[in-house]
Amino acid sequence: MNNQVYYEDGVEGQEIPPMEKQVTTVNILMYLSTVWLMDRIHFDHPFATQRRGLPNIVAPGNMAGDYYTQFLTEWAGEKGNLRKLSIQFRSFMLPGDTLTCRGKIIKKYIEEGKGCVALELSLKNQKGIDCVPGKAIVELPLKTIKER
Amino acid sequence: MTESLLENLGWKKYIGQETPSYTGDPVLARDIRRYALAIDDLNPIYFDEKAAKKGKYGGLTAPLSYVSWAVGVPGGEKSVKELGEDGLATFVGVPEFPNAWELGWVRGGEELEFFKPVYAGDRVTVTGKIVEMNEKDGRSGKMIFVTSEFTYRNQKGEALAKHRVTMIATPRKES
Repeated sequence: MNNQVYYEDGVEGQEIPPMEKQVTTVNILMYLSTVWLMDRIHFDHPFATQRRGLPNIVAPGNMAGDYYTQFLTEWAGEKGNLRKLSIQFRSFMLPGDTLTCRGKIIKKYIEEGKGCVALELSLKNQKGIDCVPGKAIVELPLKTIKER
Repeated sequence: MTESLLENLGWKKYIGQETPSYTGDPVLARDIRRYALAIDDLNPIYFDEKAAKKGKYGGLTAPLSYVSWAVGVPGGEKSVKELGEDGLATFVGVPEFPNAWELGWVRGGEELEFFKPVYAGDRVTVTGKIVEMNEKDGRSGKMIFVTSEFTYRNQKGEALAKHRVTMIATPRKES
């Protein structure tokens, strides 16, 4: 949180520092119990594999939104804000997966005096499959305002 | 000859239909902590009141993406007997059309727009409506896209987030 990113720092086409997340059965269990989600594909291995034909139990898709939220909240820093996040569910996230959140700046613009950065996001597993691609808009502070 | 599944189902009339508003119980600091642990996001502003006071929001808040869970799942708390065999009590985003479950549903995607975070102690109210319906011919048959838009507000009436959920419905395969 020490190194605040400013609007002026970002360049279109630039990748922001990636973040890794591990998917574990314990994390999935914590998630299900805290949000009270009883969908058996998330915790019942025989049900998920034999009845639903899945390769394993699968992580709730929402967790991808949480990973991106952490990724972008940390990048935006104390003075920035995650404004918008859209995600598409393409492939399941499985226990044992190492997922890498990546973001690329595709556009920068000023809106109502605020610096906005549009990003293209990917959440690839260790096999390089983008499980939940997405897009985001992050508001970053302007240096010019800071110096005033 | 192309036949419209959407027309046959008679769903178009539901566009614009609002879902009943629902207010959740107050969000506990414990809920926030456990959620942050589940997603392994160890930012002190989710755990430590003192750190949170000094942080950007001036109090203990949940990760922004928690907002949809902060209301709880309306109709989601059911006994084991009442749950379907797949464990599903309800499926957020699946519209309550009389014949909705004649089709199989998967989530296509979501879009979240954040305005303010959820603070510990907040009571969040959700309102929603169906905003869009489309039909496409996919590789394995017809697909119907139903997009709902939910708005979350805190007890002061302040908008916290907008959430668009797109569900994809496909005819069930006989097994």
